[in-house]
Amino acid sequence: MGDTKYPVWVIAEQILGEIPPVSLEITGQARILAERLGVEVEAILLGNGIEDQVDLLFSAGADVVHLGSAPEFTNYQCEIFTESIVARARDRNPQIILIGSTFMGRELAPLIAAKLGTGLTAHCIDLVLDDNGVLEQQIPAYGGLMSIVCPEKRPQIATVARGVFPMPNLDEDRSGSVLPVEPPQGIKIRVQTLEVVHTEPEGVPLETAPIVVAGGAGAGSLEGWLEIQELADTLKAAFGSTRPAVDEGWTDLETMIGQSGKMVNPDLYIGVGLSGEQQHMVGITGAKVMIAINNDPKAPVFEQVDYGIVEDCRIFIPALVERIMKLKSHAGRTAHVV
Amino acid sequence: MIDFTLTEEQELFQKAAREFAETKIAPHVPEMEETGQSWDPVIKELGAGEMMAITIPEQYGGLGLGYTVRMLALEEIARISVATAMMMQVGGLGIDPIVLFGTEEQKEKYLPGLATGERFATVAVTEPTGGSDPKGCRTTYKKQNGSYVLNGRKCFITNSHIADVQVVLALDEDNPEAYSTFILEKEMDGFEPTHIEHKIGMRGCNTGEIEMKDCVVPAENLLGPEGKGMRVSMTAISESGRAGMIGCALGLQTACLEAAIKFANERILYGKPISRLQAQQFKIAEIKIDLEAGRLLGYRASATHDKGERAGNEYAVAKYFTTEAAQKAAKMAADIHGGYGCMEEYPVTRYVRDSFVLGPSAGTSDIMKVIVSRWALS
Amino acid sequence: MLSIVVCVKAVPEPKAAEDLKIDPVTKAIPRHDIPLEINPLDRNALEAALHFKEQAGASITVISMGPPPAGDIVKECLALGSDEGILLSDPAFAGADALATAYTLAKAIEKLGEVDLVLCGRASSDGATEWVGPELSVFLDFPVVTMVREFIQFNGSSWQVKADIENGYRLVQVELPAIFTVTQDLNSPRTLSFSGIIQSRKKEITTWGLKDLALPANTVGLAGSPTIVSKLEYVESKRECEIIEGSLDEKLDQMIGKLVEAGAV
Repeated sequence: MGDTKYPVWVIAEQILGEIPPVSLEITGQARILAERLGVEVEAILLGNGIEDQVDLLFSAGADVVHLGSAPEFTNYQCEIFTESIVARARDRNPQIILIGSTFMGRELAPLIAAKLGTGLTAHCIDLVLDDNGVLEQQIPAYGGLMSIVCPEKRPQIATVARGVFPMPNLDEDRSGSVLPVEPPQGIKIRVQTLEVVHTEPEGVPLETAPIVVAGGAGAGSLEGWLEIQELADTLKAAFGSTRPAVDEGWTDLETMIGQSGKMVNPDLYIGVGLSGEQQHMVGITGAKVMIAINNDPKAPVFEQVDYGIVEDCRIFIPALVERIMKLKSHAGRTAHVV
Repeated sequence: MIDFTLTEEQELFQKAAREFAETKIAPHVPEMEETGQSWDPVIKELGAGEMMAITIPEQYGGLGLGYTVRMLALEEIARISVATAMMMQVGGLGIDPIVLFGTEEQKEKYLPGLATGERFATVAVTEPTGGSDPKGCRTTYKKQNGSYVLNGRKCFITNSHIADVQVVLALDEDNPEAYSTFILEKEMDGFEPTHIEHKIGMRGCNTGEIEMKDCVVPAENLLGPEGKGMRVSMTAISESGRAGMIGCALGLQTACLEAAIKFANERILYGKPISRLQAQQFKIAEIKIDLEAGRLLGYRASATHDKGERAGNEYAVAKYFTTEAAQKAAKMAADIHGGYGCMEEYPVTRYVRDSFVLGPSAGTSDIMKVIVSRWALS
Repeated sequence: MLSIVVCVKAVPEPKAAEDLKIDPVTKAIPRHDIPLEINPLDRNALEAALHFKEQAGASITVISMGPPPAGDIVKECLALGSDEGILLSDPAFAGADALATAYTLAKAIEKLGEVDLVLCGRASSDGATEWVGPELSVFLDFPVVTMVREFIQFNGSSWQVKADIENGYRLVQVELPAIFTVTQDLNSPRTLSFSGIIQSRKKEITTWGLKDLALPANTVGLAGSPTIVSKLEYVESKRECEIIEGSLDEKLDQMIGKLVEAGAV
C-alpha cells in the first residue's frame, strides 16, 4: 500500500446542532479506507455548543476529531469555515478528504480543493483503493462506470451523497482524541450568512421511505405528473423524480433521485415514465424490488429492474390507482363486516 | 457548387422562431381549437415577437429581413399552429403592397404600427364571384368629392375581423377594365366585418367577410396608381402569398413527420413498436422525402426572391408541391395512428383538417398548375 | 455601471447526450458531431445579468471555454443581449478538469480588467460538478455564494441574496466584487429575439488562446488538471427483468399482485 503516514479526513457537518447521517456514513467509509492504508481517520466538525456530538464521530470510526465550538461557527460561514479547514488540513496533510454532498459540502469542497491546489470528484458512487493505495473515485458516465484518480496532488478529495455508503455500526466504546479548532483571526469577511431558514419538508422523505415512486418525462404533462403523484400518495410512498421532470418544472430539485440528487434504498421502487438514465438509476441500486412502467420496450430501464410493464403510463397509472382504491375500500368493507 | 445550407444567422433566426412558437404560441393552441376563435392572444404574441416586422424595411420600424427568414419563421410557427402561421402570413400580404407600392406618407403612416403589431393587416381580393379569377371582382369604387366611395363584399378573408388595415381591390364603377387598390381602415364609415366562417381546419384563424356600404375612402388611401390595382394587390399574393403558404405547408409537414415518428415509436403491436414494421417505415420515408424536396423548392424560390428577382413561377412550383405534400403527409401520419388517428386528443387529426385549408389559400393547386404550365410552355 | 461576466458552457443537447453511451461490445464512446446548446442553468445566469443591465445599466461579457464550435453558443449569448463574447479556445485547453477550467477562466477574467460580478449556472448539465464557480472565486480572490435563487437587495457595494440549503434557504450578504452561482428558480430565461440577432451582427467574438493569456502550458488543459480518468468500464445490470405480458387488465392484475407481495397494499 502507498501512503502510511497521512490520515483520511472527513468534513463532518452539523445541522441545528446535530450531525446528519451522511457525515456518519462517510466516516464509516473513511474507516474502511484508513484501515487498508494503515492510517487514522480524522474528522473536523465546526459548530457552537456541539461537544456532545463528538462521541458520535468516534463511534462511527473517527480516531481524532478537530472540534471547533464557538459562536463564530454557529452557522456555516463560507470564509470562516474554509479558512479553518484549510489551515488545519495544511497542518495535518490528509491524503484523502471525504465531504458529504450537502449544500454546505458542495460549496466548501471546491473552495478547499482550489485553495489546496488539488483535484476533486463530485458525487461519487463508490470509493476504492487501487493496488498503490490511490483512491479510485467512481462516478457514472456514458452509461458505464468512470474511475477518476488524482495521481499526484494531495489530498484526494471527493464528495459523496447520503445513502451511497451504509450507516456504519456505531461502536459506543470507541473513543479518540479531540483537538480544538479556534476561529480564524484577522481574516477579511466579505460574505456573511445573516439568517438560516429551515422549512418543514413536505411528503414522505425519500431517503428513508420503504416505498418510492419516481416519475420521469414520460408523464407528458403536469396533469400526467399529478397522476403519478396520486399513485405515490395512494401507496403512502415517497415521490421522487428524474432530471428531465425537474427541467419540465413539474417538481423541484429536492425530489431528484440520482447521482447529483438523492440516493434511496426502498423495499419497493416503482419507476414511471422514465427511460432509465444512468444518473438516475445509480440512486436506486440499493432497492430490493424494482418495477418499471414505460411505453418503450427498448428503454434502458427495462435492463435494470426486476419487473417491466410496457404501457403508456398516462393510461396505466390512473387505471392502477383506481384498482388500488377499489381494493382498499373492499378490504375496509370486509374488515367491517367481520 | 451550389450551397444548400442556411447561413449561421438564418439558423439562429430559425432557432429563435422555434423558441417563440414553442413558448409563446403553443400554450394558446388548445383554446383556439376548442373555440374556433380566441385569436387575440396569438395576434398579440406575433406582434410582441417581432414576427410582423420581418419584411418591413428598417426605416419604417421593421427588421428588413428577407423572405427566406420569413419562410423559416412561418415554418416554425406552422409546426405548432398552422392557424397562427396563416394569420401571420396574410397579415404580411396586407403589408407587402404598402411596402411595394405605397407613397412615403402611406408607409410612414402604416408600417411602423404594423411592424410592432399594434395594427394588423390583411388583403381582400376574393369575392363570392371569384377568387381564382380576381376579375370576377364586383366591389366597385367611384370618385366623389375628391374621395372614393366603395361598395361591395369580400369573402374568405383571413384576418377579416382583426385587421385594422385592409388592402382592398375594387373595380371602377364606370370602367369595367380599371381596377384599383385602396387602404381601408376598420373605423371608416360604411366598412364592416360581417360573417365569421367556420372552417374545417386552421381553427382559431380568423376568416370571414367584410362589407363596404358607401364606404368613403380618402383620396390619399389609393394604393399605387389608379387603374393598376390588379398588379398592386396580386403581386404580393403571387410572391409572398405563395411563399407564406409554402412556409405553412412545410411546418405542417414537419409536425406530421414528428407525430408519425412519435406514435410509431410508442405504439406497441406484436410486441414491438410499429416503427419497426416496414409498412409504417415506408410511410415515414415518404413524408420525409416530400419534406426534404419541399424545403429545397421553397428555399430556392425564396432565395431568388431575396435576390430581388421575380420568383412567382418558382413559388408556384413549391406552393403546389408542398401544400399537396402536406395533405399527403397528414393522411399518412393519420394512417400510422390507425384508430387513434380519428381521435381528437391526437394532434394528427388537427393536421388532417388543417391540411385541407392549405391548398385553396393563395391560389389552388389547379391555379398553380396553370401558372407552371404557362411557364413551361412560354 | 456594473461590469458583469457570465461564464457559459456549451453542452450536448439533451437528446444527443442520451446517445453518448459506451458501446457494450467495443467499449468505446461513439464519436460524432454533437449538437450543442447553452448549458440551461447558464441561461439563468445570463438572464440575471440582462435583468441588472435593464434595471441599472451594466456591461455584460460572456466567456466560454471550449473547442471552436462552442463559438456558436457565444454568438447566441450575444444575440440574447450580452455586449461582448469571449471564447477561450486552444488545443492546450483540452481535457481540463474543473480546477484547470476555473484557473483558465480566472486568468481570462483578470485580463478583462475591473469586474464587479461573475455569474455562473449552478452546475452544467453534462459534468454536473458545481465546482467551477467556487474554484473561480479562489483564483480571483472574490467571495462566492452558490445556489442563489433570489437577488434581494443591492446597496451599491454589496448584495443580499437568498441561497438554497436543505429544506430552506440562507440569507447572505456579500461584498462586491463577487461570484454567484444561480439555480433555475432564479428567473425564466428569455428566448432569442429577431432584433437581438440583428443587433449582434455588430458584435465580434474574441478568441483567446494560451498565448493571449500568457499561461504556461502545464497550468491548463489536461496537463494542468489534478484529476484524470483512469478507466471507463461498461457495467452489466445485476437484475434480470421479467416483462409482464398480457392485456391491460392482466398487466394491472399482475401489478397489483406485485404490490401485495411487496406489502405495499
